[in-house]
Amino acid sequence: MTQAEAFETDFWKHANVRKLWDDIVPGEPRKTVPYTLTREAIELYCAAVGEDNPMYFDEGYARATVYGGLIAPPSIHILLMFACTPVDDWMRSPGTVNAGQSWSYNVPARPGDVITLQARALDKFIKRERLFVVHDNVFFNQHGEVICSGRGWTIRPQ
Amino acid sequence: MPTTYDELRAGDAIEGPEFAVSRESIRLFCDASLDYNPLHLDDEYMKGDFGKTNFGGIIMHGMSNFGLISRMITDWAYPAGAIYRRLETRWVKPVRPGDTIRPVGVVKSKQKTARSRWVLIDVMVRNQAGEKVATGEAMVEFPTP
Repeated sequence: MTQAEAFETDFWKHANVRKLWDDIVPGEPRKTVPYTLTREAIELYCAAVGEDNPMYFDEGYARATVYGGLIAPPSIHILLMFACTPVDDWMRSPGTVNAGQSWSYNVPARPGDVITLQARALDKFIKRERLFVVHDNVFFNQHGEVICSGRGWTIRPQ
Repeated sequence: MPTTYDELRAGDAIEGPEFAVSRESIRLFCDASLDYNPLHLDDEYMKGDFGKTNFGGIIMHGMSNFGLISRMITDWAYPAGAIYRRLETRWVKPVRPGDTIRPVGVVKSKQKTARSRWVLIDVMVRNQAGEKVATGEAMVEFPTP
């Protein structure tokens, strides 16, 4: 079974084991799983956002650039985030609303990279009766290099 | 749109690509991002209130805006020899199947630091009615030659 096939797509399935906003402890690291980024996953991601730059598709072209080979688009963290998040994580709670994100880019991800995520909720607060969580995420490649580092704001249903 | 650090001026604009939003494009984004939150899949669920929100029907992933803005910036930056270093965004209005969205970037300022050179770009995504659906700021590095 490929990684993608093993991914649980029914977000309701583990709803009862996920943390409530009340349970979130800002600062506590959350459990993550490593992910091998494939060329297929990169191409599917590119198709979904309309990326057609040859840097991501054409090996010959990419080798001639400063990057020296195929890379993933910087925004690939959009895929990496869920790929590295276990099913029981609160991030997957149905009704969790993404209120915005910021990401800093260090080195590109490449096909074949084994990527790990270090993540934690950093803060939680209430604004206009909505339950906010700020979360902190850093992706590393197998060489221990930071790929990218990001922060997200979510509004929790409960 | 100039592509060297020295030529860039506040107010210079980057035009982004149009993106047609449909149930299919949202479904494709679910598969590509592995985000299967029912916000993007389940109309019945979306008709109800949850928390303080009622969207009425399925909505596009906010991160689709992020991906679209990123594409606009990198397609401009790579040929300019610049490195895309940061993007910060927030979503202003939900985007629904049937909407068409387009990002734009406007150079805000540029600044030299001890070892490099940086350009700040205000970004926004608008729908077919000209309404802002997402806003943000991008940062691009032009390494010192």
